[in-house]
Amino acid sequence: MFSLRRWCLLALSLAGVLSVDAKSSTGDSVLVVVDPAQQDSYSIFFNGLKDQGYELTFRSPKVEKPVIIEDNVSNFAHVILLAPEARNLGKDITPQSIVELLSLKTNVVVALPTKQSPLHALAAEFSLILPPPGSPLISYSPKRDTPSTLIPISVEDHSSPVLTKHIRPVWFSGIPQALGNNPLLIPILRAPAESFASEVAVTSGSAEALVDAAEKGGEGLWAGSSLSAVTGFQATNGARITFVGGAEVFSDELAQKEAEQYVQSGNIDFVKEVAAWTFQENLVLRIEKVEHHLVNGTEPKETYTINDNVEFSTYISKWNPAKGEWQPYSGLKDLQLEFTMLDPFVRTALPPVKGAPGKYSTSFRVPDRHGVFKFVINHKRKGWSFLESSTTVPVVPPRHDGYPRFLSAAWPYYAGAISTSVAFFLFSTIWLAGEARDSKKGKAAKSE
Amino acid sequence: MFYPLALLLLAVTAQASVLTLKSPRFVVSDSTGNQLRAEPYVPALVNTRASSPVKLGARENLKITFQVVDKEDEKGVQPHQTFIRFYDESTGEEGIQPVRVTPGGKAKFDLNLSKPPLYLPPTSDEPLKVSLIIGTPNYDPISAPLFDLVLPRSQPAPVHPDEAVFHPRPELQHTFRPEQKVPNKFISLVFSGIALAPWFVLLGLWSQVAPRATGLFSPSILPFIASLGAFEVLLFTYWVKLRLGDVLLYGGILGVVTVFTGRRALSSIAAKRTQ
Repeated sequence: MFSLRRWCLLALSLAGVLSVDAKSSTGDSVLVVVDPAQQDSYSIFFNGLKDQGYELTFRSPKVEKPVIIEDNVSNFAHVILLAPEARNLGKDITPQSIVELLSLKTNVVVALPTKQSPLHALAAEFSLILPPPGSPLISYSPKRDTPSTLIPISVEDHSSPVLTKHIRPVWFSGIPQALGNNPLLIPILRAPAESFASEVAVTSGSAEALVDAAEKGGEGLWAGSSLSAVTGFQATNGARITFVGGAEVFSDELAQKEAEQYVQSGNIDFVKEVAAWTFQENLVLRIEKVEHHLVNGTEPKETYTINDNVEFSTYISKWNPAKGEWQPYSGLKDLQLEFTMLDPFVRTALPPVKGAPGKYSTSFRVPDRHGVFKFVINHKRKGWSFLESSTTVPVVPPRHDGYPRFLSAAWPYYAGAISTSVAFFLFSTIWLAGEARDSKKGKAAKSE
Repeated sequence: MFYPLALLLLAVTAQASVLTLKSPRFVVSDSTGNQLRAEPYVPALVNTRASSPVKLGARENLKITFQVVDKEDEKGVQPHQTFIRFYDESTGEEGIQPVRVTPGGKAKFDLNLSKPPLYLPPTSDEPLKVSLIIGTPNYDPISAPLFDLVLPRSQPAPVHPDEAVFHPRPELQHTFRPEQKVPNKFISLVFSGIALAPWFVLLGLWSQVAPRATGLFSPSILPFIASLGAFEVLLFTYWVKLRLGDVLLYGGILGVVTVFTGRRALSSIAAKRTQ
């Protein structure tokens, strides 16, 4: 029934799935909305998630329980929507409710359908422009014996920050997404250059239809490597959502299919990396502590004076999914600190401190404007969590005795004033201690 | 990504049929119709492009013509996908335009720079790599590099205003007010000397007429002198390091003491005078 090669591939896939235990930093409960008839065809993916420690709850699109959001609180830490064929996913799963899930910090993986569905409106919320319904991604190259809608996409190392390891070519089937101009979008898997979105049935008018669509202008033609097959989006509150062009990427059949000769496809690794990023395992950072004090001191002052030398330090950790804990992380090379009052006055680099893991520190001179300033850290990089911190600190002008005293320009005045004091003392000493003049004669002379 | 056209020859062994281009040609002409450069583009066996980059000026016109035929029976084929792809390797910007192909396989592509089309990617000084992508069911795909195209510079791609936050931003430093200039110390010394000059005059005069402090150590006068001295010391200490509250405290105490010693001293002097 199965050839030896097939058994080897199956064993390899199971081994790959069982070897790594990785935990999410925000919770382990996952809701999977999938058609029960199709559930077994994603068994490798689901078993992989279960082995990593996630608790999967399955829900059919026709059933309304378990509810995702109850009383403004999300019931699950993560949601996977793997039912692109379903016409509607239940009363409580609408584009608005999925956006609300994100604002409740729940991460979502969405498989997009080829035909018209409310999920198209959801993708538009995230600046993704989808092709018309019924036009999946097609590529005639490389020459292969699978249908033109099933495309092997080779993944370059470092092509996306989300993919942290080498991924073998991935079999993809689904719709592409054109990326809008939004910096929060992170393309994970780009479509190949020779691919384009079109109706599958090629008739005599298909070529003309393509040319007419392109000449219509606007987003008439979906083609080329500027399209993305799998796109991630990190919201400003840190929640992550990934749009996958089709659910077949997760399927067992494509996971076990050969991508090149004797090379198993990278689908399992790819969906594991996508799930790891979306469920806040990889590339998750946070600021543990922020400290500020004078350069030679240790305690933070309530107010600083202008022209003070201030030292600012921050401690940053990264989530280690293998161990399931936050660990200090000194790998940020371009962390910057801003000292801001309405506009940044000072922007300097915060280099890591050697010998103190996770500590980044710098010192600078407070500007000579007084006011209420903020130490601002605003570190945003594609794929990584956003680091934002703001510490308010007043800066006051020097007090009346904070100015320099004993100026060299005042020496004549010091000399004069001290001379006056000394002269007064000497004079009074001499007057008090000197003998009294005989003035009787003078008085008698006057009275006469 | 760009398969050499040699595959076309090797693919004879495969079952699918092979397409080839008949009389491919590109022409660069200027706005009046003069042909500036016309070359037949010969699909080479190795992955080479046309000999030199094609330069297109602001009002010039590029026309590419070819016919897609089945290699075996030379019949024209209208492929499903006939795209010309413009790709800038340095920025990753890409533009793709389908070419209109007649049912007999004749294709004509026109690029007129006096009306720049929207599909062109933003260009800088780097040449664009132009390639031809042909795909259709039942035939081997073609992905052939054509030539490098040098276009005039265009506006860069529009950037989202928040995009700058996602990269390291330029460092800012505050320009401080310059330090206050202090006059020369020598001048201060000279004027201190001038301020202290009367002392020398006094000392000179005293050498002639010495004051006599005979009653200095009598017990009625000395405490008062000591109090006055203490006041001077208090004043000096205040100038050096004390604060107003402390000074008032010490000054108050000293003042009370001075009242008594002063009365004693002055009354003793008055008594001496009235004797």
